[in-house]
Amino acid sequence: MSPVDFTTQLAGITLRNPILTCSGTYGFGEEYTAYCPLEALGGITLKGITPLPRLGNPVPRLAETPAGLLNAVGLENPGLEEFIKSYLPKVRKLPTAAIANISGFSLEDYVQLAKVLQKDSGLAALEVNISCPNVKHGGMHFGTDPQSAQEVIAAVKAETDLPVIAKLSPNVTDIVGMARAVQLGGADALSLINTLLGMQIDINQQRPVLANTFGGLSGPAIKPVAVRMVWQVFQAVDLPIIGMGGITTWQDAVEFLLAGATAVSIGTGNFVNPQAPLEILQGIQDYCEQRGLTSVRDLVGLAHKG
Amino acid sequence: MLTEEQVVLHERLGDEEQRLRRLVLKGPIAQTAKAGQFVAIQVQDSSISSFDPLLRRPISLAEISSERDEITLLYRIQGRGTEILARAKCGDKLSVMGPLGQGFSIPKEEELWLIAGGIGIFPLYPLAQSALTQGLTVRIFWGGENQSFLESAGLSSWQALGIPIYLSTLDGSLGQKGLVTEQVLEQLGNPLTSGSQIRVATCGPKKMMQAVTELCKSFRVPVEVSLEERMGCAVGACLGCVCTLIDEAGALIHKKVCQDGPVFRGEEVIWDESC
Repeated sequence: MSPVDFTTQLAGITLRNPILTCSGTYGFGEEYTAYCPLEALGGITLKGITPLPRLGNPVPRLAETPAGLLNAVGLENPGLEEFIKSYLPKVRKLPTAAIANISGFSLEDYVQLAKVLQKDSGLAALEVNISCPNVKHGGMHFGTDPQSAQEVIAAVKAETDLPVIAKLSPNVTDIVGMARAVQLGGADALSLINTLLGMQIDINQQRPVLANTFGGLSGPAIKPVAVRMVWQVFQAVDLPIIGMGGITTWQDAVEFLLAGATAVSIGTGNFVNPQAPLEILQGIQDYCEQRGLTSVRDLVGLAHKG
Repeated sequence: MLTEEQVVLHERLGDEEQRLRRLVLKGPIAQTAKAGQFVAIQVQDSSISSFDPLLRRPISLAEISSERDEITLLYRIQGRGTEILARAKCGDKLSVMGPLGQGFSIPKEEELWLIAGGIGIFPLYPLAQSALTQGLTVRIFWGGENQSFLESAGLSSWQALGIPIYLSTLDGSLGQKGLVTEQVLEQLGNPLTSGSQIRVATCGPKKMMQAVTELCKSFRVPVEVSLEERMGCAVGACLGCVCTLIDEAGALIHKKVCQDGPVFRGEEVIWDESC
């Protein structure tokens, strides 16, 4: 039997395979090397950065929920300058594609980051996290207002020569409307989905568990929401999708591919099983072989047909 | 490393009302583990895989035997995760990441004082063993709720080490009535015991470790504290378990309890939880 072709084209970049890791769950690529060789991955998405360093939220930042995890880390990161000085030299040497993730609290923040992060930085692409409040516009989240989302993506696109991936928030009533907006802004690909806003209350203390009160829900609990959104956006928008949200097993990954994701990204699943990316890759290969598929690309959107 | 370790002993520790368990695992982790490090263990009912609870549970190493390839974990059943872990049977294989984090440092020639609150005693035992092997003088100060707790949580194995033991209980049922820090203060202020160069290692409730750190500061005794925080990845990737420290330039910084700790120098820890 001929081996399965895993090569994945996404936003003009060629990935070894469609397995990525999610921003915020994989550091800057060093933490998991003892558990999962990076050369086995299609790529990794780096911890999100902002123009200035951020200490993030107080602890507790995490709360476990049934088959899920709430987090309110608060975008703790070293800031752009320190990222370039201390992290980028190591990122350049990673044996896999590195996608930077940028966050901002104003349009100018995003522009400042995009100006500096270019193809010659050694990055493969720029993922734009638009699930942050726009402090200059009363805290309205960029990711919940189509107009703001389009503007942010257009501004980033104008500054960088890297492919731009828009990471969409699921905390909206119309995900397709958001996807269309960022497509108009010039996005080359979509990441679907970011975390779902949630909270947990400690009934003994009678207080919220998270110091930040609210947090983003990830893990298997959110997978059905993510699959649904990938399905809807695949039908409506002609952009490659990186599917994410609760992928923990190879079966989860296949579900996302069938729904229309060109690649899949593993986040919280790494915490459960740091070798999940390897096992998922093997599982997809076996699945393709058993069905006589010669390329993983043949799975993409297959559930929509016939 | 990520490895499967086999359960070779899993038993109740002392009185059942204390809900304490001893879990001995056989596997390669013992070869490289140090006192103060921990493992992240998948808690699953071995008969059926499930993602609830989702996360691994960080548990400190209570004994390390490289000769027998065994690590011992002592834990208290206090939630869904440990309830499920408690069902693991001899012969079961558990998925374990470790050894993780930075352990205690072992002084070269000073005297080592160990100060424990409650089940914070557990990670101090392998430290005592290592220090004694290196010929150091060790004493243990240990505070707990009552006699039943102290006896259940391994008092006899500490007595077997043949070192001075200072016990405190809240109800006075064993040792001195009151807080462990009161006995530490008495001994630090006693010229007979505090004549030599002392180093302190402490583990227990946050407030207790803060008090120990303040005592040590006033007597200019270096202290290492073992912090606890809710963990996600356990390898430093998710930034879920940060603690706030003050660096040499006086700036507040975050460090990761899982990767940079759990052991930190007491003087550098900012105990105020709003940071």
